[in-house]
Amino acid sequence: MPEMDENRRDPLPLREVELLVELVRESGMGEIRVRQGETEISVRAKPGVPATPPANQTASGTQGVSELAAPSPEMDGLHAVRSPVVGTFYRAPAPGEDAYVEVGDTVSAGQTLCIIEAMKLMNEIVADVSGEVVEILAENAGGVEYDQPLFYLRPDER
Amino acid sequence: MIGKVLVANRGEIALRIIRACRELGVRSVAVYSTADRDSLHHELADESVCIGPPPAVSSYLNIPAIISAAELTGADAVHPGYGFLAENARFAEICERVGLKFVGPDSSTIARMGDKAEAREAAVEAGVPVTPGSQGPCESEDEVKRVGAEIGYPLVIKASAGGGGKGMRVVEAEAEVEAAYLGASREAGANFGDGSVYVEKYLERLRHVEIQVLADSHGETVTFPERDCSIQRRYQKLIEESPAPGLPGDVREGLMVASADLIGSLGYEGAGTVEFVYADGEFYFIEMNTRLQVEHPVTEMISGVDIVAEQLKVVSGERLEIPEGALSPDGHAIEFRINAEDPSRNFLPQTGLVEVYNPPGGPGVRVDSHLYAGYMVPPHYDSLLAKLIVHARDREASIRRGLRALDEFAVAGMETTLPLHLAVLEDEEFRKGGVTTRFLADRELESEGGLLRLVQHFS
Repeated sequence: MPEMDENRRDPLPLREVELLVELVRESGMGEIRVRQGETEISVRAKPGVPATPPANQTASGTQGVSELAAPSPEMDGLHAVRSPVVGTFYRAPAPGEDAYVEVGDTVSAGQTLCIIEAMKLMNEIVADVSGEVVEILAENAGGVEYDQPLFYLRPDER
Repeated sequence: MIGKVLVANRGEIALRIIRACRELGVRSVAVYSTADRDSLHHELADESVCIGPPPAVSSYLNIPAIISAAELTGADAVHPGYGFLAENARFAEICERVGLKFVGPDSSTIARMGDKAEAREAAVEAGVPVTPGSQGPCESEDEVKRVGAEIGYPLVIKASAGGGGKGMRVVEAEAEVEAAYLGASREAGANFGDGSVYVEKYLERLRHVEIQVLADSHGETVTFPERDCSIQRRYQKLIEESPAPGLPGDVREGLMVASADLIGSLGYEGAGTVEFVYADGEFYFIEMNTRLQVEHPVTEMISGVDIVAEQLKVVSGERLEIPEGALSPDGHAIEFRINAEDPSRNFLPQTGLVEVYNPPGGPGVRVDSHLYAGYMVPPHYDSLLAKLIVHARDREASIRRGLRALDEFAVAGMETTLPLHLAVLEDEEFRKGGVTTRFLADRELESEGGLLRLVQHFS
């Protein structure tokens, strides 16, 4: 599998993105992902948008996330922390407690970002780089799938 | 009827199950690895969950990920398809424990029939004929020699936990027993984590016939007319047909009764296949597969029964719905496995981009496939690209239909087994019918003007 070159900056194919957004809206699909060469575009539906039967929502816990990742923010130097397992995403160690991290926090490599529960086992997910939390992509107590981006971090400059 | 089924598989069989779900109004959940992001089963299911990276051990064999995906999506049942976790008793047991219905028999039946030596004993207890051989596993080479003295050579040593020819040795004479016993046992241990082996009389010229069975929780048991799966290469089936050409009616009757006796004695539920060898007018039980098989469409074509739909009814606690007359064959059906392998280069596996995909159509033609033009065949999984099934009023007509459909079938971007199938259909012995499992081993493939031809050699 060819890895995406993180330094490559193609002009955004806005026309294509527009078409995909339309297609997602009309088809009722949960997500459309298109890849051409090294550019990958993923368009996900937002729940509550009419003409989207929940039938086709992916189980990926993207409920509540409307996302236009075109191409992915990783190209802007952001680093994605992805889910290593299928499970339920928790932002805090226990209900009622403070979240491990908030947007804007600075984290260091090895610091716990969240918990993913899979088959009653709590997996602590840690930052693999030091930097700033720019975005939290998964919803608390929602399902996440393997390889799903959970956080975007802006790595510290060395 | 159950509400939602998680399909724990990929490729054509995942599509087959999703299609059956859709027709029954059952919601489907696909699971997929990151190598299958562009796969049709991921696209066509109502929901889908990415369960892991490309290697099957981390995705399609990853029990925690699959169970988690079922919990997250609220699935009621898991259909394992064939391969991967389909005959994994531990997986079935975990499903049972977490309250997920496993589409198949209970875990103890899977475990029992998954052990070849135990399955043999179960057949003996049910009064089903088995190949002469050892009673249960052989603990030493002396025990093999004792069986050899009793039933004569050649013998075949087989792995209890085995399948696909692994941990298997043919022994022509007593002098070869020691080396063969150690070799088979070591291979069985390495491949299946269980080195126990058993011994059977080696039948050189035999046909592989099998009986599709279905049983529900209300005590109804159905056995279908046999499939003949004698066209094999290295124990991998390539062509299956039903009914078996030239099989006497009383043998068919005997196979169906024996299979019904076996699954009756097991208290079996769901779909399964009882496999036999047939040689010199006699049949012997070899093993039972406690799952849906690749070649199930052959039976579907001549019976009109949707086997996957019946599986879903059984797991829902409903009764089987088999129309009257479904159990006597309607015409003849043949299935061809189109694999991503190059028959001209010793069946070298092929991967890469499918540039052109144009499956055949017309009367009596069915194609089960996950291919489309632009699809990338990943290197991580098995080589099955498509199953072509043809159905016509008799064998001769279905061979003609097969030739026509194979000729129409266009796949570009890689070599496939399509030309091999054409060559088999042109073979005189095959056309006569009733060939043995040595059919392909006895022949050389010759290339002739871009076409392949089978030439028999006599050794």
